[in-house]
Amino acid sequence: MLVSMAKVHVIGHRSRLDQTLAVLHQLQVLHLIDVSDDATAPLPPLAVDEQHLQRIEDLRYLRARLGSLLALIAHPPTPPGETVEMTAEGLYRLREDLNELTPQVEQLVHRLDDLAHEQDILPRHVASLTKLLPLVPGLAELHGYGTAVLLVESRHAAVLGELNAQLMEKLSGNFEIISDHVDHNTVGAVLVFPRDHSDEVQAMLGREAISRVRLPKQYETMSFREAIAAMKRRLAELPAEIAATRNALDELVSPRANWTAAASYLEKHLDQLSAIRHLGATARTFVVSGWVPATAVHELRDVLATQVGEEVIVESAQIQNGEVPPVLMHNPAPARPFEFLVRLLALPRYGSIDPTLLMALFVPLFFGIMLGDVVYGAILLVLALAANHRLRNRPSALRDLSRVFILSASWAVAWGVVYGEYLGDLGHRALGLEPIWINREEALEPLLLFAIAIGATHITLGLLLGVRQALRTKRRHELVERLSLLLTLAALFTIAAIVADFLPRGLLTPAIAAIVTALVILMVLGGGMGVVMAPLELIGLVGNVLSYLRIAALGVASVYLARVANELGAAAPLGLGVLVATLFHALNLALGAFSPTVQALRLHYVEFFSKFYDEGGEAFRPFGTGAEIQPAAS
Amino acid sequence: MEGGLTEIGIGLKAGLLGIGAGLAVGLAAIGTGYAQGRIGSAGIGALTEKPELLGRVILLVAIPETLVILGFAVAAMVIILLGG
Repeated sequence: MLVSMAKVHVIGHRSRLDQTLAVLHQLQVLHLIDVSDDATAPLPPLAVDEQHLQRIEDLRYLRARLGSLLALIAHPPTPPGETVEMTAEGLYRLREDLNELTPQVEQLVHRLDDLAHEQDILPRHVASLTKLLPLVPGLAELHGYGTAVLLVESRHAAVLGELNAQLMEKLSGNFEIISDHVDHNTVGAVLVFPRDHSDEVQAMLGREAISRVRLPKQYETMSFREAIAAMKRRLAELPAEIAATRNALDELVSPRANWTAAASYLEKHLDQLSAIRHLGATARTFVVSGWVPATAVHELRDVLATQVGEEVIVESAQIQNGEVPPVLMHNPAPARPFEFLVRLLALPRYGSIDPTLLMALFVPLFFGIMLGDVVYGAILLVLALAANHRLRNRPSALRDLSRVFILSASWAVAWGVVYGEYLGDLGHRALGLEPIWINREEALEPLLLFAIAIGATHITLGLLLGVRQALRTKRRHELVERLSLLLTLAALFTIAAIVADFLPRGLLTPAIAAIVTALVILMVLGGGMGVVMAPLELIGLVGNVLSYLRIAALGVASVYLARVANELGAAAPLGLGVLVATLFHALNLALGAFSPTVQALRLHYVEFFSKFYDEGGEAFRPFGTGAEIQPAAS
Repeated sequence: MEGGLTEIGIGLKAGLLGIGAGLAVGLAAIGTGYAQGRIGSAGIGALTEKPELLGRVILLVAIPETLVILGFAVAAMVIILLGG
């Protein structure tokens, strides 16, 4: 459900402004409204001078510099625990510190990067050269000639022949190219050429299939043997050099343990300074205007009275016409993960219906009806429980999703028992397990009727909620439209019942009359386009109900794929059969986790929500949560 | 022809019904795939600009699936009502 919001004005003496903002920042219950957008604000907007704006800019710049420096350091110094309060002098010192230390830190961090790169790349060069050395023992000590080490994929080895022909033409035979397989897939080649022709050779080597081994600059002029020896010496020196650089960086950074705390102070202070631009004030008084969850107004009043004093009061304000409070969803714990699925589409408008609880009920149910297999459901349940356990301390969309899957997989197990499916028909084949209700492989007709019944129920529920929503918002047009659709739906099912001999034929005329009446009402409501749109709307309604056939379709596809896995497994020898069946069941399980989720969501977003959902709410962003302060919608 | 099919246990009527049902689902699936491909590529483009549109993109990609569901409904009707 959506939390009821109250509009409040926090009014106080100007001398208490900073303290009040600090408390509000810490409390995180007030969604700020820009006073210039609030017609009920008792004071005019605070005139912010140039100096204030300049200060915000300065602090933003300082925050950006400090942030980028902290990002450079892999392990920033540990903060002292709490956010420090920084004086003007502290900020000055921080600025000086940054001016002095940033170049040094950058230099050391870049040096560390270079050393790590060297440590990574040199063993590869040593390996390549060591492999190529036996190819050209005569070159091992050669000086004065340019050499290029090339690696070519075996399937492109013909490129070396072409290269040989081109070099023969350009260098008149004054070169040597020697090649051999260095491993199964790679041909290594060493090209020796006069240094004067270096540019021409480089141009020829820029071929797609040729990968040139480029040695670091300091090894380029050495012979192979010298280069290998020098690289090995360098590799031996590197760990000590890295440790020394790291120590130098630590020595530089460790005394600045307050940097992390300073960064968090800057965040908080900037939030408060930016908030000032949205307040109202006179020379002596200030007002902060905002939305608070109705249940938190007392807490806000008490905390301000205790921590700031009686000079600051909280007044409830009148909500003006056209003012829309922000939206905060609050649902029972089991349904809370589904809030993320609602937000995935769009937030509901304040005062409208929050469909989270309904999604928590229907999404897992639809998933279970579609997948409906005890073993698949159990596997997904174990995976979802493991994911949820792993993410238990990290609130995230993934954790919410794992909780959605826990419920969905549980329903899949339950419906698996109903359908008698254990890895498809394996339970029946091996253990003679029978369905409680229907066998999906054989009873297609009841399954289709069941899916349509679910659709009719779900759409009817959506339309009833739409009627309720229209009544609450006093939108007569929508009310009549939804009632007409309900009438059509009832008439259509009456006709279906008459055709199936469940109802007497005498009801046929009233049912048709009801559809015609609904059609005429919809045409009138539609105005000029009503003649075209009303029939389309009725067809769309039937399409919405038929769309629930996907529940049956996906189920049938899943059960047949499982059967194919079992048939193939049974046809092959035991070991191979188990392997093939496992692969097919794994594929079916992957599809079974993905498709029913997407289809269950689609049935909600497209078919169900379109009957009542009023989207477009603004999220509740309390002051102090780091969200950018925005003027409230008016 | 009928004799040949009957030999492997399928009558001509059942075979034709099977082909009809297959066409109903298959052609609808081709149409759905085509539409989803176009919507999907546009949707991915939109997501690179605005990741918060994920829900809407899923919704838009899922909309043409109704076509294949209707194809499935026709196939089921062909088999159930005409197949006897």
